[in-house]
Amino acid sequence: MTPNETPRLSVRHLTKRFGPLVANDDISLDVMPGELHCLLGENGAGKSTLSSCLYGLYRPDGGEIWVDGRPVHLNSPSDAIAAGMGMVHQHFVLVPSFTVMENIAVGAGSGWRLDYAGVLDRIRSICDAYAIELDPSQPIGELSVGEQQWVEIVKVLYMGARLLILDEPTAVLTPDESKKLFTVIERLLADGISVLLISHKMAEVMRSDAVSVLRKGRLVGTVRTADTTRDELTSMMVGRRVSAPVRVDGEAAGQERMLAVRDLVRLRDTRRVLDGISFDVAKGEILGLAGVSGNGQDELFECLCGLVAPDEGSVTLADKPLHGLSVAEVAAEGVGYVPSDRFRDGLVADLTVSENLVLGQHWQGRWRRGPFLDRGALDANARRAIETYSIAAGGPDSACRKLSGGNAQKVILAREFTKASKLLLCNQPTRGLDVGAIEFVHRELVRKRDEGCAVLLASEELEDLFALCNRIGVMFRGRLLAILDARSATHEEVGRLMAGQESAGAA
Amino acid sequence: MSEFSLAGWRLERRIEQSRFSRPIGLAVALVGAILVCSVLFVSAGANPLTAFATLAKGSFGSLRVTGETLVKATPLIFTGLAACVAFRARLWNIGAEGQVFAGAMFAFWMQHNLGGYPALVQIPIVVAGGIAGGALYAGLAAVLKTRFSVDEVISTVMLNYIIVYVLSMLLLRGPWSEAGGFFEQSARIDRGAVLPIVLAGTRLHAGFLLAIVAAVLVYFLLKRTPLGYEIKAAGSNLRALDVQGTNTRRLILVVFLVSGALAGLAGVTEVYGVQYRLKAGAIAGYGYSGIIVAILGQLHPAGVVVAAILFGALLNGAILMQITTGVPSALIYAVQAILLLFFLAGWAACNFRLRRIADA
Repeated sequence: MTPNETPRLSVRHLTKRFGPLVANDDISLDVMPGELHCLLGENGAGKSTLSSCLYGLYRPDGGEIWVDGRPVHLNSPSDAIAAGMGMVHQHFVLVPSFTVMENIAVGAGSGWRLDYAGVLDRIRSICDAYAIELDPSQPIGELSVGEQQWVEIVKVLYMGARLLILDEPTAVLTPDESKKLFTVIERLLADGISVLLISHKMAEVMRSDAVSVLRKGRLVGTVRTADTTRDELTSMMVGRRVSAPVRVDGEAAGQERMLAVRDLVRLRDTRRVLDGISFDVAKGEILGLAGVSGNGQDELFECLCGLVAPDEGSVTLADKPLHGLSVAEVAAEGVGYVPSDRFRDGLVADLTVSENLVLGQHWQGRWRRGPFLDRGALDANARRAIETYSIAAGGPDSACRKLSGGNAQKVILAREFTKASKLLLCNQPTRGLDVGAIEFVHRELVRKRDEGCAVLLASEELEDLFALCNRIGVMFRGRLLAILDARSATHEEVGRLMAGQESAGAA
Repeated sequence: MSEFSLAGWRLERRIEQSRFSRPIGLAVALVGAILVCSVLFVSAGANPLTAFATLAKGSFGSLRVTGETLVKATPLIFTGLAACVAFRARLWNIGAEGQVFAGAMFAFWMQHNLGGYPALVQIPIVVAGGIAGGALYAGLAAVLKTRFSVDEVISTVMLNYIIVYVLSMLLLRGPWSEAGGFFEQSARIDRGAVLPIVLAGTRLHAGFLLAIVAAVLVYFLLKRTPLGYEIKAAGSNLRALDVQGTNTRRLILVVFLVSGALAGLAGVTEVYGVQYRLKAGAIAGYGYSGIIVAILGQLHPAGVVVAAILFGALLNGAILMQITTGVPSALIYAVQAILLLFFLAGWAACNFRLRRIADA
């Protein structure tokens, strides 16, 4: 990079307020042509607000955005596209019943008549140029999540973007797919296209050319990646030193079996979403479940917590069969359940913190005084939880919808950890959380394990699993492919299994 | 998207509402509604000031008309509360209309052979009958919803039609029709079943007190009990309740039973407090008006009582307004609708604010 080169994107003193909240405070950064620039920050640091301003979804309250040396005014995404910026959202915006080509053409808005042959030619040439494997005639509904992301990327390139904004693109990918994504990114960069990557994952951040770190809406600084280290970036992001996750081995997992799952099958319209799952979890053991989301994890957890009945197979907890028990009855056996979608399954956003902490137990005598809920007991309980779990909430009466993802998760953890005397079911407990909150979840899981609880932990983050688990099982298309010893297994081995390749060694 | 801009001004969603935005929004809505109503009155050939004055005089001008206003408000309080309980749980019970009929009919069925028994026997039976009738009829919609996934909006509206015809069948040369009578109505009910008058010089009956008691009970139910907690939670996220171990099928049934019971009482107070006969004309329309009352009352029991009294006053005052100014009393339904629309717009507007944006 030469110093006198014109930046592809130049943000000058950008400020965006939401009422009294300043989401972006005087942010300035430059992205050079052909640069992979990473935007790093905890949840709520202002990354999404900034990218929404760049994409024309929000209008900044102050500051300027320059593209290729000219100021631009972005009132809508179409302005941003015209200026040469394209965004791939975390949640894709594709029409499932349309083909790949139709989806790309829809976004491009090609006037009255669709020139299918021309569209097809351009899609093909883009795919060839960047070695993206995509069949333009396939309906979106038949594609995997990873393939859908390719469609989004091709769509953005089709519209002529010279700056790609990728919002946590690898969150939905297998390790193999992520590797492929970075190969494509490198080709884009070589072509002079700039990429602004929003990510939590340090391994990805370290591959970039420059990193801009945001904290609490302010730019902490922009550094050349080559001149910095992971630890330095982490402390810039969090504002303090964070200890890297270290393996904490408890005393060898007890031999006493707590949970036994045998030949579990769950059908959805004749398709086996759970296909003969069997495993044990011992007292004081954390069993990890690796796998990309949607490979049966949600269904497995819902069977275990009593929400749905398995079509075949058995589940026993401390030698007591759980078959036919309702959710409330399973919970009464000493089972806590942290669901993967916390705002859909774990919390009622309109209820307060103290109310959410007794969700599902609100009829129990200890929360009642006569026919009424005992607000005093509820509030005392909430103050205790806020203290123990350091939940950043206004108080027992603040609504859960105002909490950040991490604090909402802490409310769920506080409730479920108390419930879980024998078994703790955790489905993606660190999803979307920032480094500080992840550190907290890890510590709490270890504490629960040391109390002698059996823990089943599903996570897409291999770091979680390798740091915490005694054994790691890998789920793929409803099957449990293998259970590996966490101390001898490698990331590569687990990654291969996550992609469905059963290696010769694993059984 | 939550933003819309035009000519240098931008409409954006408020993050936090100030304490005053709501009262101010409501005041603006009220002024707007009065202005539009005035246009309506002028077009009907009346001076709007006189029209409003006679409306007020006709509804609160004397003890007698005030009592009459409260009489008109009584069934609306019940049906408003019925809608309030169900809507809070996001269960769209549009069937209060049919449940009013069911309550009146069930009460009548239990009471009509008890002529001569003392009031102390007959009145509790009538009240219990109204509760049971409304609850059972609403329960039908709940079972259709939880067992067969029939949308409650469809089922409750259909059930409304059915019961009107059932009543008609029973009253028109049926077992309940008045002996030798010509009209589609029952014989006059026994003196011992009449709800007593509670304010001398008016027609205000004990049903009004029952309605106020019901409003207080509903307030505590929603605010303080575990069931109220579940209703609030169901209105926000039914799925999470399910996942956390609440039997949501049973919850839906209970909400419908409570809602229906409240609606059923409206039928009882009209038949046994005002009309003294069972006939369709006596009880029709309150179910639907109750929905408007509940929404105007912001799904809060106290708000429901206020909105019901306002509607009662409009209905009652319209009679004097027609006599004095010649404005047809039917126009009052238009006034009710205008009020509702302006208030809804006012509340929605409270969530936004206009801001001048820096020149782009």
